[in-house]
Amino acid sequence: MTLKLVGSFPVQPDRVWCAAPHPHLPLVATASTDRAVRIYSLRDFSLVSTIEGGHKRSIRSISWKPNAKGESVLATGSFDSSTGIWHREERGTDANGEQSPESNSEEREEDEEWRFAVVLDGHDSEVKSVAWSAGGSFLATCSRDKTVWIWEDMGNENYETIAVLQDHSQDVKMVAWHPEEELLASSSYDDTVRLYKEDTDDWVCCAVLAGHTSTVWSISFESNGHQSRLASASDDQTVKIWYRKPKADEEEAPKQPPSIIKGTADETENWEEQSTLPKVHTRTIYSVDWSKKTGLIATAGGDGQIIVYKEVYTEKDGEVANVDSEASKEWKVVAQVPAAHGVYEINSVTWCPKWDKQGTKTDGELLLSTGDDGIVNIFEFSA
Amino acid sequence: MSDIINANPTILNPSDLPTRHSESRKKQSSSTHIADKISRLPNSKSLLYDPFSSSPGDDSAYSSGGSEDDDEEDDDETAEDIDEQEIYDLISTISDPEHPLSLGELAVINLPHIHVTHGQPTPQNPHPMSHVLVEITPTINHCSLATVIGLGVRVRLEQALPPRFRIDVRIREGTHQSTDQVNKQLNDKERVAAACENETLMGVLSNMLATCK
Repeated sequence: MTLKLVGSFPVQPDRVWCAAPHPHLPLVATASTDRAVRIYSLRDFSLVSTIEGGHKRSIRSISWKPNAKGESVLATGSFDSSTGIWHREERGTDANGEQSPESNSEEREEDEEWRFAVVLDGHDSEVKSVAWSAGGSFLATCSRDKTVWIWEDMGNENYETIAVLQDHSQDVKMVAWHPEEELLASSSYDDTVRLYKEDTDDWVCCAVLAGHTSTVWSISFESNGHQSRLASASDDQTVKIWYRKPKADEEEAPKQPPSIIKGTADETENWEEQSTLPKVHTRTIYSVDWSKKTGLIATAGGDGQIIVYKEVYTEKDGEVANVDSEASKEWKVVAQVPAAHGVYEINSVTWCPKWDKQGTKTDGELLLSTGDDGIVNIFEFSA
Repeated sequence: MSDIINANPTILNPSDLPTRHSESRKKQSSSTHIADKISRLPNSKSLLYDPFSSSPGDDSAYSSGGSEDDDEEDDDETAEDIDEQEIYDLISTISDPEHPLSLGELAVINLPHIHVTHGQPTPQNPHPMSHVLVEITPTINHCSLATVIGLGVRVRLEQALPPRFRIDVRIREGTHQSTDQVNKQLNDKERVAAACENETLMGVLSNMLATCK
């Protein structure tokens, strides 16, 4: 299996922190040190628009709102301590986000009217990560001020702070939502990952994932419907997989009956470490992304390498043993790209669908990596 | 600075500081040999004379100009050309934030505590990384300026070294009360990047780096 470089976006001369693919259009947005957001087409890898003027310092993180009807909505987290919300009308897309054929030619020439709609102030220092919940109703932000904030979209560009979570003892590096549930995860400089959910009226920390021995830079949930797992990547040069333990009495029921006993929130989620991926990286791992489509895990970091891992059934003496048992699975390295950005460090890796030139989603998948060289590289994974 | 944290630091005589006495290293071409000598000249000068006597024009010398020179050198010469002495020359001339002395004179930066390794190119990876580890020795074990000094060393090296270098700056074991805490901060890429956008802190750092080269 290989990763083949199929293109790149020369974003700017300095560091590109991350890239985020649009939830349903062939677009990807980048966050970089020059305080600008750039939007590229995934059909022909061309620059579509540059959005500037909203932030006073580096843009660290970027997230597209899912289920935004008739418009695209972006959230940006910046070292200037603020979070920005940007809007652009998407003509020619129906409610399901499917593009009508006429809009394809139109998209390129239209004057991209990105509007800086709202500034969300509240954090005391740099905002490190922003993430919309799967349904698009909540936006989570985290900061060096050790807090995680949850904002609710009240409509008409009103956002209300519904939670300020102060469970971490150090900077919070990243926030990520569960792909189906309203379950939030955050990773921190305090070496832990924490999970939060709403308990009657309040958002509370419902699990602490401790096991890494240094900063946890990145987290990514698995998306496969019947089980819940999370991958975490750390400065300790390892990637760990965590899984939600089903309750002993209800194997297949992740939904809990409402608890009548107060103060048992910590017990409503029971997460345990499942495995550590084979160690390949030799410097800090800055990013992990679990593919929603293929279940592959990609990682990248300070050593400039991209690694792709696949979960396979353990072979014993050349035979696949015990196909039914979860314990007989293991993770293997299936692709490795050294120096994926030359001598530079890699800040993020993100899986996204492959689109053809007409703007139709194909079966293929691309991996986007962003580096200190100011470039986004586009790899195609082939089995 | 109102409160001096260490009023009586031990100071080394500038003539005792390590320099490259002989040019015994073999060179590949005479032109790069001369270029190399010229680029090193200001460093040894500032070691021999008062580091604060620099002319106003020197203030900008540490920034972009220096790194470009290094990049060009990198193209012409082999990876072995940057060694511990060269790293020492780059950072020992940084000024202490509270004394009118260089980090070399205060023995905060010491040649034996600098380690440089170079990766070898392979067919799979034609772009090997180089690695530099600098261990700094704070003048007193509770020095609250250790983080600022470490950040100055890191910023100086990031600006001057080619991008293939991975830089680790650490407090030397046993020389500071909160070694692990300071080390973690100094090597957190995101914190360093954010600090470099903080104008107040960059003001302090540029004063410290003004005596380089």
